[in-house]
Amino acid sequence: MDEFDDNEIGRLLRLKKYEQPPPDYFENFLHEFHRRQRDELLRQPLWKIAFGRAQDFMMSLNVASLASYRVTAVLLCAAVISLKIYQTPPTPNVARLTPIVPAQSVTDGGWSLASPVSTRITVTQPRSHLSTHRTATPPRYVLDSMPVSYESSLRF
Amino acid sequence: MRWLLIPIFAVALSARAEDQSASTISREVKDIFDHCKKAVVKIHGDDEHSELSGTGFFIDPTGTIYTAYSVGGEGNNFSVEFDGKRLPARQQVTDVRSGVAILKVDTASPALPIGKSENMEVTTPVVAIGYPLDLPETPSLGLVGGFDRKYLGYYFHTTHLRVNVATQRGEAGAPLLNLRGEVVGIVAFTLENNSSCYALPIEAAEKIRSDFLRFGEVRHGWIGAKLMQALEGKGGSYAEVTEILDSTPASNSGLQPGDILLRVGNREIHQPDDIIDASFFLTAGEAVPITVIRGDEKLTFDVKADFHPASQRPPVIAQPSMNQALPLRLQKAPERTP
Repeated sequence: MDEFDDNEIGRLLRLKKYEQPPPDYFENFLHEFHRRQRDELLRQPLWKIAFGRAQDFMMSLNVASLASYRVTAVLLCAAVISLKIYQTPPTPNVARLTPIVPAQSVTDGGWSLASPVSTRITVTQPRSHLSTHRTATPPRYVLDSMPVSYESSLRF
Repeated sequence: MRWLLIPIFAVALSARAEDQSASTISREVKDIFDHCKKAVVKIHGDDEHSELSGTGFFIDPTGTIYTAYSVGGEGNNFSVEFDGKRLPARQQVTDVRSGVAILKVDTASPALPIGKSENMEVTTPVVAIGYPLDLPETPSLGLVGGFDRKYLGYYFHTTHLRVNVATQRGEAGAPLLNLRGEVVGIVAFTLENNSSCYALPIEAAEKIRSDFLRFGEVRHGWIGAKLMQALEGKGGSYAEVTEILDSTPASNSGLQPGDILLRVGNREIHQPDDIIDASFFLTAGEAVPITVIRGDEKLTFDVKADFHPASQRPPVIAQPSMNQALPLRLQKAPERTP
């Protein structure tokens, strides 16, 4: 750029002012453009041409709307695959059979007139086990289906 | 034409009368519910099995609560929902023999008036107010269906009210009210399919409370005699003394096998079953007049009742004067060592 000072640039512009294309240049311009375009295409490999055609075809089908379908399909496939993975049964563990602790009788000393006789459901798990679930389980709403106790003979 | 109008007019009048009686009952129940529901509380607690939930009601203005033994008898960590708050409650008396438990909350409270179940009869309407499941207080209307001393072949400790009131789980301990809004019973347990329930007569609960206030403990009394149906009645009674148990108040009272029982205290005896209520209201340590017929002679013996062998001792959790939450006993301070 150092050799082109303002005077030199002005001289070149004045020379360009007198340059004119040949008389049939504008008439043949479009024809020449198509010819060169075809020549350019024929120089590309076949697969690239096919890819370009396909790309053009897809563009003509409004790709923006198809994109959402594509994303939906991908998500659906991902969901199905993940479900399959999570539903796969884990490796079976060998069950350890723990003996059920028998519920303690209310009356340890045997039957007596004061023994409460009721049909309450006795829970056989230890209390510590229950307390861990206590917040999640509803309370036992009380209304017995049998009397708390009753006499057995006519003594007074 | 005039003859045709008369029956139409009569039918219209009867329909109007039915509507009026239905609305009258509805209004009475609504009045009772609005007036009494403030004194009915939901009770929470827990026992060795799980948390439990039932119903109770205030019977004095100092926070004393009646409930069923199945609710307040064997649990711990009791609290009651009252006036939008959840207040801690403690057991005062529990009595498995009667099926009643008395809890105490340290607060001023409304109180339901105590009525008399003895004044009721079959078909007398009653209202129960309870907390079914996790629902709010709910009124239930029904009729007295009977006064039963036994159920499925077993005798109660005292006569129970069988009422056609549909109760749900969570309503044990609910007050049973007459149409004057007075408590006549405590819902104890339900019959099959929940269409009816049994209620402890309020007199039985009052006997337990009276014992506690007088003696600081529940005193179920007994004499020590056995009855059977007599072949021949005397003086209107068929209750024959068949056995006098050794080392009991009856053994030294003068009662003999073969005596026909006429009266125990202020309760007349006509059938052997009548002894159930008479026996329940005996108080250990108190003398009770017992009237019998021996031959043609009417005799009365004053017998001092002893503690019933089936009564649990000590059934008292707190002393009557104990209003503090934690009873403390002051002991002599240990001497300091140098």
